[in-house]
Amino acid sequence: MSKDFSYDDLKDEEKKEFLKVSQVNKAYGTGDSRQEVLRGMDFSVAKGEFCVLLGPSGSGKSTLLNIIGGIDSADDGYISIGGDKLRDMDEKALTNYRRKHLGYVFQLYNLIPNLNVKENIEVGAYLSDNSLDTDELLHTLGLYEHRYKLPNQLSGGQQQRTSIGRAIVKNPDILLCDEPTGALDYNTSKEILKLIEEVNEKYGNTIIMVTHNEAIQQMADHVIKLRDGKVRKNIYNENKVKAQDLDW
Amino acid sequence: MKNPLRKRVIREIKKQWMKYIVLFLLMTVTIGFVSGMFVANDSMEKAANDAFEKYNIEDGHFNLKNEATSELINEFEKQDITIYKQYYKEFKEDYKGKDDDKNVRIRVFKMREEINKACLLEGRFPDKDDEIVIDRMHADNNGISVGDMIRIDGYEAEVVGLVSFSDYTCLFENSTEIMFDALTFDVGAVTEEFYDKIEGKQIYQYAYLFDDEPKDEDENKELSDKLIENVAVSCIQNGNEITDFVPEYANKAIHFAPDDFGSDKIMCEVLLIVLVVVLAFIFAITINNTIVNEAAVIGTLRASGYTRGELLIHYISLPVIITLVAAVVGNVMGYTTFKDLVVKMYYNSYSLPKYTTLWNADGFVKTTVYPLLIMILVCTIVIYKKLRIAPLKFLRRDLRTSKRKKAMRLPRWKFLSRFRLRILFQNLADYGVMFIGILFVQIMLVFALGMPATVNNYKDDIKEYMLADYQYILKSNVDSEGNIINTDEESAEKYSVASLETTDGVHVGEGITIYGYMDESRYFEIDEDLDEDNVYISKAYSDKFGIDKGDSITLKEQYDSRKYSFKVKGIYDLPGTLAVFMPNDNFNKVFEKDKEAFTGFLSENEIKDIDNKQIMTVVTQDDMLKIARQLDHSMGAYMKYFSVICMIFALLLIYLLTKLIIEKNAGSISMIKVLGYNNKEINSLYIRLTSIVVVIAALATSFLGVLFVGEIWKIYMYQLDGWFEYYMGTQRLIQAVVMIIISYAIVAAMDVVRIKKIPMTDALKNVE
Repeated sequence: MSKDFSYDDLKDEEKKEFLKVSQVNKAYGTGDSRQEVLRGMDFSVAKGEFCVLLGPSGSGKSTLLNIIGGIDSADDGYISIGGDKLRDMDEKALTNYRRKHLGYVFQLYNLIPNLNVKENIEVGAYLSDNSLDTDELLHTLGLYEHRYKLPNQLSGGQQQRTSIGRAIVKNPDILLCDEPTGALDYNTSKEILKLIEEVNEKYGNTIIMVTHNEAIQQMADHVIKLRDGKVRKNIYNENKVKAQDLDW
Repeated sequence: MKNPLRKRVIREIKKQWMKYIVLFLLMTVTIGFVSGMFVANDSMEKAANDAFEKYNIEDGHFNLKNEATSELINEFEKQDITIYKQYYKEFKEDYKGKDDDKNVRIRVFKMREEINKACLLEGRFPDKDDEIVIDRMHADNNGISVGDMIRIDGYEAEVVGLVSFSDYTCLFENSTEIMFDALTFDVGAVTEEFYDKIEGKQIYQYAYLFDDEPKDEDENKELSDKLIENVAVSCIQNGNEITDFVPEYANKAIHFAPDDFGSDKIMCEVLLIVLVVVLAFIFAITINNTIVNEAAVIGTLRASGYTRGELLIHYISLPVIITLVAAVVGNVMGYTTFKDLVVKMYYNSYSLPKYTTLWNADGFVKTTVYPLLIMILVCTIVIYKKLRIAPLKFLRRDLRTSKRKKAMRLPRWKFLSRFRLRILFQNLADYGVMFIGILFVQIMLVFALGMPATVNNYKDDIKEYMLADYQYILKSNVDSEGNIINTDEESAEKYSVASLETTDGVHVGEGITIYGYMDESRYFEIDEDLDEDNVYISKAYSDKFGIDKGDSITLKEQYDSRKYSFKVKGIYDLPGTLAVFMPNDNFNKVFEKDKEAFTGFLSENEIKDIDNKQIMTVVTQDDMLKIARQLDHSMGAYMKYFSVICMIFALLLIYLLTKLIIEKNAGSISMIKVLGYNNKEINSLYIRLTSIVVVIAALATSFLGVLFVGEIWKIYMYQLDGWFEYYMGTQRLIQAVVMIIISYAIVAAMDVVRIKKIPMTDALKNVE
């Protein structure tokens, strides 16, 4: 299957279950070394929602994120985006899905060392037919002054901002963030969280953020707490806290 | 929007400029040389082919014992051919600065205006007595210039021009010789008046052209075979005798050079392909290492939606760009510097006419498309395998493709030895390419060192190649008064000799010398009594045609269809000569000669009591050394340069591969530095391991190289008349190994510095 997905004209009902995770199981290894990572994972996320997946190490949050991102697959159950089930997509369709609709932010930035800030962001822009204006985004990211610097000339926070820029420049429907503040200090972490919040508000992307930092849940619309591969709590935040007011 | 990843290509080149310059140079020089070879070959081949029309080259020629009468010539021309007289006289040539003991011969023609015309390369043609034009290459070889005087027997003549005779582009004195000789054989032309004045032995040679040009080579051969028989019959009917018949296609003096162009082109094509494959693997390993280092970035790009194809194109774009630029620069150099070099090489061997440099589309495609295709193919196969790994594995930096769960068990050696073994297994692909690279260089080195060694070995063992120091062939075994010719020279012994040609095997139509020996001969050590159809054959004949004791052979007369079959009773240890041996009595019966007939004498000393007029030919050591002299002259100097180039190639290839290995292991090296290993210990791990691999590779590939070149040599010799074996010798073999090791030693010194420079922070970066 290879199609050019479009999620701009979804009905309200479809928007509510924009991302649907249905009875997803995942195990690694065989025999004695078999380990069940996800066990009947079931929830949905609305379009434009800021969702935090919270849980301790080994709870399955990164595995779930990878399956949503189409770089890993579920053993059972399914995940659908705007009604399109990932398990029905072949490799080409999955690549196209990631290309057009997903943005990825990792804990360790993974920037290309011999491209400068602007070029690293252009690496993301190249994938999209309606990418954001790179210079405007550089201003939004606070990186305009540093746009000609190479990654090794930047601080950790600046590198992570660049990686967020690379992910959102293609204006993805879903932004997947895997522990984006995991390698950063308190102040820099807050800066990054503020930026993600701003992106969510400004561009309306659905954000799925994996973290083990309990404080971050306060800024999310939707918090899913995981433990031992299962959803333990599914909370909708009515009193969100601004990122700048977070404390831990 | 253009893919922003493309910007990395130039930055990668800038960052690793040394590595890419070396790769670029290796590729450019190879492409340049091969392109030059193609351009020069084809341009000269075109000139050689055009020469048939431009200089009206014969369809063949024959020599008669006596001058043909006009009736006989009419008789010949009834065979739908036109006859052209091209008599010549043979003299000893003398010139200023010539060694006294050097026997130089010149074949002097009248200026030929109708057939086999000469191409003037320098000076002018003669227009009066005492003027001569001679072969350009012979002049170059002997330091003779326009304006110099040469002496042809008793006559002084001024060299007024240097030429290329269209029927002597390769100076073969006759077509049965293994090798031409531009050092001691010359061809010249003078005015008709001067020709008549100079007195010397005249050969009645007649060139012919078919009235209707044969459609193809097969028809040419068919017509020529028929012509030989008819000319021979006409001669006998007219009381004359044919002494030589050479159709154009069998005339080495005309064909040797163009045929050599063809085989050189094939060799160069193979050289190009092998070297580009080696370089492609070096690029593939480089990219593979980059992919390992950039695993997380690739994982991110794949997770962001970059396709495998986009990443593949990105990673192979650098080798493709370098190959493309190398192809363009190489071709430019191919049409200029390298073409001139190749032309110089050919002009140093052959006496070729003027040529015009021609655009060579086939050469351009081969030197551009081949390298590009090979580069894309090798890199794609190696890289695509890696890129098939799932994006998640890239993100986790888990790029293992082996399904092995545990590390390979190693013998209970000391820790450092086991450590070394692990490094070897980890870098097996790199060491594998290094082995292939060294094998490639070693093959070239064995060729470069082995060629002079083979020639020297031939020179040193020349006595073994000869039946006797002097081999006399008489015009007749009786003198003018009918008395049997004899000599008082004690070492002289009668023998008989004839020539037949092969009818099958690896080389049809190759001349085989048939010897008849006397009972209890001192020159033929064959004790066995042989029946009329039983013979011994020489070792060279046995080796070349794969004939063993007990086999049967069939040979035929050169100028008619008579065939002779013999059974091989033994192999006689005479290298270099393709020969059959039988008792003289049997010889006379087989060839229907008188019972007491013989052809000449074999002798250890010069025979002084036989009148020169009775002697047709004397074969001495000097004649046998002709092949060695010419090979030495044509290739000797180039082989020295070539061996130095091979050493530089070895140095650059080893430099590239050890650089890759150290780069790949930089993290580990950095880590063991952090752990407290000192540089000496680290060198003992990495440098010693590479040293062991290089020494083993140098030794193993030297033997493989000798085997390979030996086989190539056989293929080469199958095409030539004659046979002598490839010889490398222990000393040259050691030299080849030492040259590789010296190249490595220079690289190893650089590697020590390179390892020393690896910072400990590298290990910490990788931990992050």
